[in-house]
Amino acid sequence: MVETCYIPKDLAEALRIRKETGAHPIAGGTDLMVSHRRGTGVVPKFPWPVIIITQLKELQKIEVEDGEVSIYAGSTCHEIEVSELVPYQVRKAASLMGAQSLRNLATIGGNICNASPKGDLPVPLIMLDARVELVSATGKRQMLLDEFIDGPKRTKLQDDELLARIIIPQPKAPFTYLWYRKIGTRRANAISKLSMSAAATVDTHGIIVDFRSANGASGPKVARSRAVEETIIGLSVDVLAERLPAFLDAYDAILSPQAMPQYRRSSTRKMLEHFLSEVSRRPDTTIIE
Amino acid sequence: MTRDIQFVLNGKDVAITCDPLKRLLDVLRDDFGLFGTKEACGEGECGACSVLKDSKIITTCMVPMGSVQGCEIMTIEGLRETARGKCIIEAFADGGAVQCGFCIPGMVVAAESLLASNPDPSEEDIRLGISGNLCRCTGYDLIVESIRLAAKRGKGLW
Repeated sequence: MVETCYIPKDLAEALRIRKETGAHPIAGGTDLMVSHRRGTGVVPKFPWPVIIITQLKELQKIEVEDGEVSIYAGSTCHEIEVSELVPYQVRKAASLMGAQSLRNLATIGGNICNASPKGDLPVPLIMLDARVELVSATGKRQMLLDEFIDGPKRTKLQDDELLARIIIPQPKAPFTYLWYRKIGTRRANAISKLSMSAAATVDTHGIIVDFRSANGASGPKVARSRAVEETIIGLSVDVLAERLPAFLDAYDAILSPQAMPQYRRSSTRKMLEHFLSEVSRRPDTTIIE
Repeated sequence: MTRDIQFVLNGKDVAITCDPLKRLLDVLRDDFGLFGTKEACGEGECGACSVLKDSKIITTCMVPMGSVQGCEIMTIEGLRETARGKCIIEAFADGGAVQCGFCIPGMVVAAESLLASNPDPSEEDIRLGISGNLCRCTGYDLIVESIRLAAKRGKGLW
């Protein structure tokens, strides 16, 4: 008989079940239990067998090794928000996801593999060049998170694989300035209408040696363009103001022309303008409000 | 397909044989007769179905029973028997926090979850602490006041 639900005891058993059945992983349940619910007193029904992975201890840790932060896929938003090992923007994004009750259930692995264009955690993670590690019964592989998320609700996860961890590399030099903003409706449980994560490193001579920016809820997947970022890397903060209009136009062009009401474009423009004008002022605070 | 699932419910070891995808909310209400945990939205927005799972607040409408194996679940029926629960419930009654009452079990669980991590919360902390719980009657002010009252009266409990 084909099982409808598997509850493996450990990761090895989970990977064997994935290989043999291709059952779909379910972790916190905050997306899947809601999208497949059928009403009061009725058991949710899934069109495929599922494998519950909430209990897998191997997927529940956050650690630092060789300067890289590993957030294992079963870590909840709450665990991420309170971890001092995790970079600011990722903690901030996790802390603004729904209410406490949701953050105690929802996992980073679910938020990534659900691959919603409005997902909150991929935005700062992609900005930070995060990689994913995918494991199967036969091995493991890594790729950039930006490549792993293929499009809306689509990832490169194979039927026999599980997302094991997200690896955040250290920037060459610590960022001098950080930015994260989420625009939604109700503060608890708001789905992002727009979110933006940015970071800049300015050296002692006032040269911008690193700059990154990523947008969520702005198209089929997180919008980031290294080519556009390059246009202001290497500039002195003194000339930033005059280069800003051209940069903002180029950034605007990477946002999807479809899923993009005007207010998203104008808000993105204003946020970048604000962040970069603060950077050129070179304030003492790291976090730009 | 059913599974045997053991967990701790309001301090007692319990076992149930059920579909592992059945929601914890339905098990609490239909199988254990614990009607204090309410269903309103069914999608994690309203907080009426909140309980504590291993001392952390969760919405039970999103939780499949298969992930409850070995966990400690505390519902309003268990919480009201504790000194902390009694303190919050009395403060809610004295502070006039309750109108229709439907959201109140969830609000009491949210108050316990908040006070456990922050025994002396500011008004802003309280509003944030109950931000996952919707109330259609009170306008929240008397609930916020009552949680403040519970924190004051219950000094040392949390």
